[in-house]
Amino acid sequence: MSIHLHFFLLLSLLIFTIGIYGVLIRRNLIGILIGVELMLNAASLNFLAFNRYVVTDPAVGQIIVLFIIGLAAAEAAILLSIILRVYRSHRNIDADSLTEMRGR
Amino acid sequence: MSPTLTAILICTFAPLAAFFVTYTVMRNRPKASAFFSLAGGFASLAAALALLKAGPIAEPLRYAWLTSGETNLFFGFLLDGPNLLMGTIVAFIALMIQIYSLGDMAKEEQGRFFPLLSFFAWSMLSFVYSSNLLQTFIFWELVGLASFLLIGFWYRKPSAEAAAKKAFIMTRIGDVGLFIGLILLMQTTGHLDIVHLNSPETIAAIPGGRLTLITLLLFSGIVGKSAQFPLHTWLPDAMEGPTPVSALLHSATMVAAGVFLFARFHPLFLASPTTIDVVLSIATFTAVFSSTMAMVALDMKRVLAYSSISQLSFMLIGLAAGNLFAGVFHLATHAFFKALLFLSAGSFIHHHGTNDMVAIGRNGGRSMRWTTLGLIVGGAALAGLPPLSGFWSKEAIIGALTVGGVPVFIALTYAAAFLTAYYTFRMICLVLFPNPNGQLQPDEPAPASSGDHHHHGDSPWTMLLPIVLLTIASAAAGYFGFFVDQTLDANRELAHHASWGDMAPAIGIALFGAILAWVEYGRKGASQTGFVSRLPMLQQLFKNGWYVDEFYQRTFAKVVEGISVVSAKIEDKGIDASTDEVGKATIAFGYSSASTQSGYLQFYVATAIVLIAVLCYVAGMGS
Amino acid sequence: MESMVSLGIIAVMAIGGALISVSNKNILHAIFGLGLSLVGIAGLFLYLGSPFVAVMEILIYVGGITITMIFAVMLTSMTLSREKRSISRWLFAAVPALIFFAVMAYFIYGQFGVAGSNEVIPVSTSAWSIERIGELLLTRFNLVFETLSVVLLLAIVGAIVIARKERQQ
Repeated sequence: MSIHLHFFLLLSLLIFTIGIYGVLIRRNLIGILIGVELMLNAASLNFLAFNRYVVTDPAVGQIIVLFIIGLAAAEAAILLSIILRVYRSHRNIDADSLTEMRGR
Repeated sequence: MSPTLTAILICTFAPLAAFFVTYTVMRNRPKASAFFSLAGGFASLAAALALLKAGPIAEPLRYAWLTSGETNLFFGFLLDGPNLLMGTIVAFIALMIQIYSLGDMAKEEQGRFFPLLSFFAWSMLSFVYSSNLLQTFIFWELVGLASFLLIGFWYRKPSAEAAAKKAFIMTRIGDVGLFIGLILLMQTTGHLDIVHLNSPETIAAIPGGRLTLITLLLFSGIVGKSAQFPLHTWLPDAMEGPTPVSALLHSATMVAAGVFLFARFHPLFLASPTTIDVVLSIATFTAVFSSTMAMVALDMKRVLAYSSISQLSFMLIGLAAGNLFAGVFHLATHAFFKALLFLSAGSFIHHHGTNDMVAIGRNGGRSMRWTTLGLIVGGAALAGLPPLSGFWSKEAIIGALTVGGVPVFIALTYAAAFLTAYYTFRMICLVLFPNPNGQLQPDEPAPASSGDHHHHGDSPWTMLLPIVLLTIASAAAGYFGFFVDQTLDANRELAHHASWGDMAPAIGIALFGAILAWVEYGRKGASQTGFVSRLPMLQQLFKNGWYVDEFYQRTFAKVVEGISVVSAKIEDKGIDASTDEVGKATIAFGYSSASTQSGYLQFYVATAIVLIAVLCYVAGMGS
Repeated sequence: MESMVSLGIIAVMAIGGALISVSNKNILHAIFGLGLSLVGIAGLFLYLGSPFVAVMEILIYVGGITITMIFAVMLTSMTLSREKRSISRWLFAAVPALIFFAVMAYFIYGQFGVAGSNEVIPVSTSAWSIERIGELLLTRFNLVFETLSVVLLLAIVGAIVIARKERQQ
């Protein structure tokens, strides 16, 4: 029995959902970053799966995935330097204490 | 561009150009201001004379203006007889006044004064040459605005300010009637072109009742602008303005605009006998009414103001009696001699520092030679003594009325003519033959030191030149009657000049008035109290203007004040408050919306995720 | 058969690592869990026929990003924080996730349930080779390539600017 497309789709959806859950439940900023990375990877898995099963041009999906990986690296760098900055000014990196942008 | 168009454009727009230049750039440079203003005045006069020479043109120059559906309003210039005459007179007198102002107005005020004079000249000339009633109305209002600005020229004086407001508001009341009449005219006939409206076919097409209504409404505007009873009280108060203003606006030109409007629509008015009766009633009454007030007043300018009201009534009488020539001719001669009188009075006032004629007389009024000559000639013309111009025009009016006229009106007119001669010579005698021991005391004595004026000199040449020119004009204009008649209506035959016998009553009445004044005021040792003083109550009534002003203050003014107070309350509590509430509600809404911004990072992410899911669902369901 | 077993193991690794990374209270352990998950995903890439991308994943993600995260943790010394996980918080996190999962799963099954596209397309080595990727990167996807390099440059510069110490006046 061959593996269907929606196995991979479901798998990537699962990892993505776990990533969302991680973003929402974590109070540590780095924990939030972990969730974001999970989501990105799930997305690239999705792309590659589609490339394999549906699209005839083989290299498009791979290039997209490479692009995503590169972007994730750039984004992680920026995020981590922001986290350092936040740590310097707040002495902790708890997301729940960063509420200066409150409306009321 | 045809030469006619060029001429008319120069005539009307030269003052406007002068106004712009002087008002924007030269307010602080009186000499330059005066120069440009005078240049504009000369150009205007030259153009007006050229047009007069070229003769009347029946069809106006029309230019498309407002079009709505089938209705077409054209603005343009009408160059027929009455317009040409009036335009030339206005331009000439405006120029005389401008020259006079060089001498009369203080240097620092001139920079501000001349632009306003030019503005007035532009509006008045454009009013005269208009071809469309709406255009006429626009300039009618502009002339009113110029009057307001000029009466209130010395705006720091509260009395001047009040007078300017009064003038504007009272004339405005009349203007409402005029405008309603205009609208009705538009509605009934479909156009507002003056030439069309005067044609017999158009007039015949208007139903009688409607015609009476329209003409009555138009006349209400005239009542306001030409200061007839009951809208007359603004004109005496308008003497708060500088003398050149009184001479230009409130004797010769602006107030004559009302009469001129009547002349313009003469066929229309004549077609409604009811209106003619109303006009005659009001005019004859006003003529006597204002003359009574003139004969007890001591302020020279006030006397002349009342006199203007009375003379305007005369013009209306002549026109209403059916004689276009009589009314227009009197308008022309009145312009000359009334302006002359005002300028002479102004010359006296400028020299002695007081308006009161008794004080001027006792201060040595007679010593100003040219001014005195002007006063005498102007006064005699006003009284209607031959061979001066005023006689010919007044005789024409009385002659027109006596032909099949109602006896009451004729009697009132004769009474007014008698009073005119009486108060005019009263004024002359009080100034020229003062009696220091007389019972009459001045209301406003001359200031002890009249600056650096020498008592035995006369006013500067800039003030005397116009006086001299106008003296000549007042004396000679009577002989141009035939020219005026020809210009007015080239097809008509020359007006029938009555024989001396027919003119005898008019001459007699005038002489009687003059002699009575001499007896009471001018003889050596005269008591200088008029016959009216025998009836003190009557004298008080006349002195206080028949208490019309007080009546208005008690009734209309109170009502309007009450309405204003109520409106102010409504505005404050109602309208202002509700706008404030809208503002407050918006702010409150903003505050409550801001509470959705919790500041927690993950809250936003969660919202985003849920919304994306919803969006995808909706999008997916659609396809 | 073996391929299915190995696929299963790799999938478990991916999902298990993900679960560890979101639930572990110790942040370092969470990062290690992430690393495990990423290795699993690399294996999945391999299974899908792209060895190059799999290797790149391990090199960059596991070898670079994960280590950088550990550095950040060290610098901010929050290794042993105790996070309180209340029920309301858990609900707040789980509900949107589940909503999302439900909607997307519905679409996956709705759209791709029955018809075609579940046969693996035969792999031709030349088409999926590295040379092919390189060629495409420099011709058809040139813009992607260049943009990515600019983005990385910006990220480096930005990271330095954000993180450096304020100059003492």
